[in-house]
Amino acid sequence: MKPMLSTDLNVAETAVEKAKIEVKNLNFYYGQSKALKDINLSLPERSVTAFIGPSGCGKSTLLRVLNRIYELYPKQSAEGQVLLDGKNILDRSQDLNLLRTKIGMVFQKPTPFPMSIYENIAFGVRLYEKISKAEMDNRVEQALKRAALWNEVKDKLNASGQSLSGGQQQRLCIARTVAVKPEVILLDEPASALDPLSTAKIEELIDELQADYTIVIVTHNMQQAARVSRQTAFMYLGELVEFDRTEKIFTSPREKRTQDYITGRFG
Amino acid sequence: MSTAASLHRSRKRKNAVMMALCTIAAGIGLVWLALILGALLYKGISGLSLSVFTEMTPPPGDAGGLLNAIYGSIVMTIIGIVVGTPIGVLAGTYMAEYGRFSRLTTVVRFINDILLSAPSIIVGLFVYELMVRPMGHFSAIAGAVALSILVIPVVVRTTEDMLNLVPNALREAGTAIGAPRWVVIRSVAYRAALSGIVTGILLAIARISGETAPLLFTALNNQFWSSNLNAPMASLPVTIFQFALSPYEEWQQLAWTGALIITLTVLGLSIFARSLTGRREDR
Repeated sequence: MKPMLSTDLNVAETAVEKAKIEVKNLNFYYGQSKALKDINLSLPERSVTAFIGPSGCGKSTLLRVLNRIYELYPKQSAEGQVLLDGKNILDRSQDLNLLRTKIGMVFQKPTPFPMSIYENIAFGVRLYEKISKAEMDNRVEQALKRAALWNEVKDKLNASGQSLSGGQQQRLCIARTVAVKPEVILLDEPASALDPLSTAKIEELIDELQADYTIVIVTHNMQQAARVSRQTAFMYLGELVEFDRTEKIFTSPREKRTQDYITGRFG
Repeated sequence: MSTAASLHRSRKRKNAVMMALCTIAAGIGLVWLALILGALLYKGISGLSLSVFTEMTPPPGDAGGLLNAIYGSIVMTIIGIVVGTPIGVLAGTYMAEYGRFSRLTTVVRFINDILLSAPSIIVGLFVYELMVRPMGHFSAIAGAVALSILVIPVVVRTTEDMLNLVPNALREAGTAIGAPRWVVIRSVAYRAALSGIVTGILLAIARISGETAPLLFTALNNQFWSSNLNAPMASLPVTIFQFALSPYEEWQQLAWTGALIITLTVLGLSIFARSLTGRREDR
């Protein structure tokens, strides 16, 4: 990106909150059944947005629309608009692989590739960039540092990624995602399979990453949403019930259903 | 109280009976295997000498070896594997990856299962009609083609099964990082399923190296050394078949020795295949 552009962005950011992703009138279907009903929301740039709600409310589905990963499976379809920097990514002409380099994703269960720690990170970089060995070494190191994993693995970069602990694997997945320099990072319950200490590390990491990335996190854990996000969307039965600043959602929600959910009356 | 105790006793009794039946059944299976291996070792090992591997199959009443038959088996097995494996792996890849949700996959899987259990003599007859009759003579290449047809269903099946075991989360992760479909398959799915796919290929080798029927109609046999793929070629199974039926003692001895060689090779391959999958499961 040209330097001029990035200063423009900074100016814009300080002035008004710029929307990175805008979802407009989005409907989503699994075969005949409608899983998302007329969703409208706007995700501000360089900030963490949380999707909360009971199981089956559509929060993961919504996340999976944002990088169109749902297209791996037949009979799933989305209609409406999802604008990334003003451009509709649901458009047929959108190149899916390029879209996914811009919008990275980390999954619930850690998914290290069956290769070395180094290769896990170099793999994604190599797909779209031709860089020298020295540059790649540097890139891998930076990504691992960004994911707070460097100190733990710097002496065993050639070990299998699957030999790491669950929490380390998840940070490796974050490092791998960061290494391809995305603009948006989608996190699908990234800490639900981890112990409390690893969870704390991941949350700390999310907090640091929002300086550079637009982050969307799906979580079952309301405390986690309250801790890491700036705005929260509460979803229920495929609808977006309420979307507001996180403090507002957790202290004085507008909707009764939100109030009931966050106080633990259902869900 | 007493009903509970009697119930407990009757359950224990039933358990003992069932366990005894299972143990006996397992024992019966193992006894035959042990008897076969024992007989092979007893009869075959006495004929095992260097000349078996250095001399040609002899005329009746003469001493000799199995060199041409061993060579023929190796050549035809290699060609069969080299031809059959890529077809099998690619078909399995289609079924597990590209065509996972397509109707064609269901149809192909059904046909493949039939092919997997088809009597190998039918494959031999098929290749006889397809190649031997038009060419006018038996040939090693026809034998290799028959073997490759036997390889395909085994490799298709294991490749599909092993790729299906690769968690979808891993494919999604590869896709989510921006990798095109074929890169995800090549660099992620194949890598995760590698030992299983190799095991399938080893099992296919084990299967075809003992096949006799398809070779009888295709490569036939050859008493002499021949490396001409367009001519009949000897192989261990067919030689065993011929020699074991003969009235000559030297031939019968060579048949036992040949059977021992095949059995040990297949056993070795199977153990190697097992150790590959075993290591995968340990991880």
